Amino acid sequence: MTIFVCPDSFEGILCGVYDAWMSRLGHANVALELADTGNLRLFAEYRQVEETAEKAEKVMKVVRRKAGQEVCERIFRASLSCEEQKADRIYRFLIYALHVGPGIVNMLQIPAVYELFRMNRFVENESRSLIEFIRFSQTEGGILFGTVGPKNDVITLMAPHFADRLNAENWIIYDENRRRAAVHRALEGWVAIQLPDDSFRKRLLASSDQAEFESLWKTFHERIAIAERRNPLCQRNHLPLRFRPYMTEFQRAEKKCANNLARSD
Amino acid sequence: MLLQQSMDLKEKLAILADAAKYDVACTSSGVERRGRPGQLGNAVYAGLCHSFAADGRCISLLKILFTNQCVYDCRYCINRRSNDVPRAAFTPDEVCRLTMEFYRRNYIEGLFLSSGVLKSPDYTMDLLYQTLWKLRYEHGFNGYIHVKAIPGADPVLIGQTGLLADRMSVNLELPTADGLRTLAPSKDRSRILKPMRQIQLGIAAQKQGIVPAGRMRPGMAYPWVRQFVPAGQSTQMIVGATQESDYQLLAVAEALYRNYDLKRVFYSAFVRVNDDSLLPALPGGPPLLREHRLYQADWLMRFYGFQAGELLSEERPNFNVFLDPKCDWALRHLEQFPVEAMTADYGTLLRVPGIGVRSAKRIVAARRGGRLDFPDLKKMGVALKRAVYFLTCGGRMYGPVRMDRDFITASLLGDERRRAWDIGQKDSYRQMSMFDDGFLNPAPTADDRSAAVLGQM
Repeated sequence: MTIFVCPDSFEGILCGVYDAWMSRLGHANVALELADTGNLRLFAEYRQVEETAEKAEKVMKVVRRKAGQEVCERIFRASLSCEEQKADRIYRFLIYALHVGPGIVNMLQIPAVYELFRMNRFVENESRSLIEFIRFSQTEGGILFGTVGPKNDVITLMAPHFADRLNAENWIIYDENRRRAAVHRALEGWVAIQLPDDSFRKRLLASSDQAEFESLWKTFHERIAIAERRNPLCQRNHLPLRFRPYMTEFQRAEKKCANNLARSD
Repeated sequence: MLLQQSMDLKEKLAILADAAKYDVACTSSGVERRGRPGQLGNAVYAGLCHSFAADGRCISLLKILFTNQCVYDCRYCINRRSNDVPRAAFTPDEVCRLTMEFYRRNYIEGLFLSSGVLKSPDYTMDLLYQTLWKLRYEHGFNGYIHVKAIPGADPVLIGQTGLLADRMSVNLELPTADGLRTLAPSKDRSRILKPMRQIQLGIAAQKQGIVPAGRMRPGMAYPWVRQFVPAGQSTQMIVGATQESDYQLLAVAEALYRNYDLKRVFYSAFVRVNDDSLLPALPGGPPLLREHRLYQADWLMRFYGFQAGELLSEERPNFNVFLDPKCDWALRHLEQFPVEAMTADYGTLLRVPGIGVRSAKRIVAARRGGRLDFPDLKKMGVALKRAVYFLTCGGRMYGPVRMDRDFITASLLGDERRRAWDIGQKDSYRQMSMFDDGFLNPAPTADDRSAAVLGQM
């Protein structure tokens, strides 16, 4: 068994696919792994994958020609997944995709296709949930700042929605688990950036002028519920607890403490 | 109580959100619109829910009344004229400010504006129109707007408002004219249906190109085409305030879908907010299970190709408490089952309990590429615990199943009964047991406890 260790990025995984495929060792004798995950295996040879734009482009070109745009989009979304096995799953899926063609996305009875479908669904669902549940706060200078803590790396999927919707605003979506941010400038485009630390967040939030609309929104959220129909289980089904620490209407006294701490720092 | 003028925005919002909460429609679906450079907002066809309230209902739109003052005295309504509740009214500017600022922070998907009838229907409708006009043209709001058409308002006003809104709705309130006459003496069914017809004809005329979409007016800041109510219209009915059967409710809904091209009919379990002798006493709380069954049937009519007459009839006018309408229908039509997953057409698959629109589509797409088996169906989202009794895969059933009504009913019931019980008796708990005896007794309420302590049996 030869294991190709690739960097955790879309291009990195594509380069891994290229190296594994072109090694001509046979699909059964190769596997892809992400760097720094899982345990080392006995009796396996490890090869580091070098990330180059050229290899990634070659793979994408072939996939687009043989399997179509839909498959390209799917492997991109799967590469944003939080699962450690994603690189190998994309490889296994591509074996089928290049053989069968565009129709492969519907053949869920094939385990490799189902695994990719499942990762896709998770990424898509989470990005859709966060598009709904992200809350912006307005900082000094009118910049809208929203923090999310997603399991998958979804901010690149969220940003186009907000670039369209809030096209005349300056906004930042910050993924605090990965320290990545999507930054948008009014009436121009957006970029994704990697940040060294989150000191900028404290600076931004310290100057935020929030109190009025946050309290209005909390009032509304409280008053719109019908007491006779109280149903926390239904609420939890639709709005899982893990999203709530980031949402204005569920932040109570703890948030205030955190804010004060941020200010005193 | 008199309208209070000296109120701050927060108090007004509290009162007017409180007054609007019994309106059910809070969907932001039905229209896809891209953002416009420099403006705020877009619209997503499927709609987005930005939060969920403590009652589990979604909060998609900023749902408020313009004012909770009302000249009418409808018995079921918290805002009826004779009720002593605090009254408030927004100004158009306040509504615009709230909407814009909430929308920017991604709290809401748009505005849901309804109102009590202040002075007269025309006066109220004009206020709603002014608000929408300001929002669209002064503030450049491009998000979703759902607005109520006030029955009795001038058709010109309703037509103009429709060009600014995405969805309009007129509440039918009660399914029959008799019920309306008893509980809402100042409302009249024909007056409710009139604006509904006007909106329907407006949408149809635009679709057929009889009326050009939007009208350019000199000096308009944003001279793009405005469509008339692009997301269609909806309505709502109160369930359980009068004596109508489920069949009557469903038949009315079907007629509305068919004759008025409605996008949605909403059902609202009656909450007794007023102490009125003509209103039913509901000791068990609002009829939530009944509302749930009506929504299930509504989906069956809109997406699964069922008709009201198939689900209920004059002889069986009410839903089965223990089984959902689709299982109930399938059990009465066992001659059509089992269905073969590999060959049945889409419409037939949709009628199998446990298969939904998405899983049916996935099955149809996947079986072109090869054989399917039961574990594959499960992966595609089929609820096997219901579907196994009605489905074969490659000519074989999942296990030994007798195609016998009593056998299948008994097998389905355990699970369904528990779920129905959860909806009917929410917030109560039940001792877990090794042997599920099927006796699902409600937990004692606070009243029961005090009666037991005081010895009142």
